[in-house]
Amino acid sequence: MIGRALRATLIALFLGAAAATAADSPSSAQPPGVLLSRQLAARARVSVGDVVTLAVDANGTRGMMVRVAGIYEPTPDPMRFTAQRLEAHMHLPDLVALVADSADPAARELASAINVKLIDPHDAGPFASELAARAPGVIVRPTSRTRDDDPFAVLDRFHVAISAVTVVGATAFLLALMVIRAEERRDTIAILRLIGISRRSLLTAVAIEGLLIAVMGAIFGVIVAVATESLVNRVFQARYDTALVFVRVTLPIAVRSIAIALPLGLAAGIGASWPLLRGQILSLFRR
Amino acid sequence: MTSLGLAWRTTKRYRVRAVLAVIGVAIIGALLFDMLLLSRGLLDSFADLLSSSGFDIRIVGSEGVPIVRFPIDGSTRLAADLRALPEVRDVVLIRVERATAQVNGRTPRDVTLVGTTQTGGGPWTIVKGTNLPSASSSSDRCPMLIARRLAAALGVVPGSVVDLSVRPAGIASALPAIACRAVGVVNFAFAATDEDSVATTMIALQDALGLAAEAPRAKAGQLQAADADLVLVASRPAVGSAAAVRAIERLRPDLRVYSNEDVIAQFNQNGFAYFRQISLVLSSLTMTFAFLLVATLLTVSVNQRLGEIAALRALGIRRARIASMLLWESALLVGGGGLLALPLGGLLALALDHILRQMPGLPERLHFFVFNWRAVTTHLVVFGMTAAAAAAYPVWLTARLPIAETLRREVVG
Repeated sequence: MIGRALRATLIALFLGAAAATAADSPSSAQPPGVLLSRQLAARARVSVGDVVTLAVDANGTRGMMVRVAGIYEPTPDPMRFTAQRLEAHMHLPDLVALVADSADPAARELASAINVKLIDPHDAGPFASELAARAPGVIVRPTSRTRDDDPFAVLDRFHVAISAVTVVGATAFLLALMVIRAEERRDTIAILRLIGISRRSLLTAVAIEGLLIAVMGAIFGVIVAVATESLVNRVFQARYDTALVFVRVTLPIAVRSIAIALPLGLAAGIGASWPLLRGQILSLFRR
Repeated sequence: MTSLGLAWRTTKRYRVRAVLAVIGVAIIGALLFDMLLLSRGLLDSFADLLSSSGFDIRIVGSEGVPIVRFPIDGSTRLAADLRALPEVRDVVLIRVERATAQVNGRTPRDVTLVGTTQTGGGPWTIVKGTNLPSASSSSDRCPMLIARRLAAALGVVPGSVVDLSVRPAGIASALPAIACRAVGVVNFAFAATDEDSVATTMIALQDALGLAAEAPRAKAGQLQAADADLVLVASRPAVGSAAAVRAIERLRPDLRVYSNEDVIAQFNQNGFAYFRQISLVLSSLTMTFAFLLVATLLTVSVNQRLGEIAALRALGIRRARIASMLLWESALLVGGGGLLALPLGGLLALALDHILRQMPGLPERLHFFVFNWRAVTTHLVVFGMTAAAAAAYPVWLTARLPIAETLRREVVG
């Protein structure tokens, strides 16, 4: 009930803000303070110190004058990053005074949720069971998630799968380019072998070349990722009006990328040149 | 020889690189196809799931469609009032409770107990047995439908007796268990993959909630039964859901009334936004990636064959034909990969769908990747454009090729 009333209150807030500021008549009692989310303050065009009317609906029913004590950035929530964070925080007694039905004495005792911090967080399960037994009808849920019921763990697996597919596709292209490059050097390899350079030496040279290309490519990729990280975050933060960080290039991710790129580059280099290295010298001259 | 014939011969001559390029395009294309399926898949699947219930309006007592719903005060009376509305064709009351199911004194299992006034069909598919009987035709105290997986785990078949207690396992409760008879084994449309569900009548649920003495009167419509936490309404087709929603809102302004379209729009705005974004970003990236790589391959390939192309020009083959040949080469690589991408994308979609469906609490019938012809058409159009764009630079390169100078450099030199 309080949650629904709060939503209506917030709608009323920005509709009534201008009028309420004008009606900021001297009063003996200081109006209760309220914190507004940055988004709501911007929408309602109010700033710290303004006195506004909060009401349970857009018509201003059961309005209450409150003073904007501060403006806060809502804690980013990846589960609701698309939601407009038009929120206000106020003391519970003030909210109850605003929304409770005066004809119902029990309404003043009503809260939609109670947050409990346990001394030992591992007791969450037994505590939930005991409380549910003592207070039938109360729904008790731990706020922490296990790996099994965390949607972000599933998204993580999804991203890894997409990355794997991309890597396989990229490897095929890399191999095709290396094949073209090896074909271009067919005559050079033939001459080198004719003058006595061993297959092993040529293979080592090809491997080192592939490794160098892979290292440079991976480092370039990490640099591009770091350089665009801020741009991507800014675009999405502006799009959804949130402080949520969407992309973060961390050292482990960079290391993992390079660790995957190196063996692939090496394998592509050797794989593409192998048909030329293993064949007879005369066949390289198409004889 | 036609341009296509020339392109085909070139592709066959450099078959290793051509095969690798086709494989690369096919894999990237499969990812693109999957992203196109993902861009609307979940939404389509969700819409399909909602419409499968046969009801187009949902009424809840609290804001949005939260995980925990609160009972709607006076829902039996509400149902009667709703049925009286000319815009309404049918009304069903639903209440969901946590409960335990026990068979022959074995270890009880946590289940989701659904009480419904819907009989003779609902958001479930009968696997074995029959549907819930109507309240007037049944002498059963508690007829019950049981999910297939749970039935298999408990060894329940139609006719088996299951003791149901409305309480989570491990929690002391004074509520007595009631003996329910399984009338059917079903697949519930809205049940999560890891959820064990049973459904019974609202009268039986009321019984399980400890209102046994009042049940007969409730059955007779003389007493308000246990309040539902969800009311499903089917509007009359001639009127439509929007008009029915307005009528219901006028009747009970304190309730939240959503048409299926509202629920889907809300889902599209909130729950689906992430997948829409990732689909857009990955589609754009994969196509840019495919374009760059095919363009690079063709450019490198053309650079390698400059002497050959200059010789063809010297033999009298026109620029337009050379350009056409390069376009066909691009089309063979991108087209071959693009066509292979469709079945490959289908297989990949199955694997990715399997991963995403491990999300907790998702209905078993919900899918993220849903086949649609629009995705196939978009895929083919985008690949056609990519092939043309990738061939543009090599075509331009060959169009301005100085024949004599190139021949001297590439052949004589």
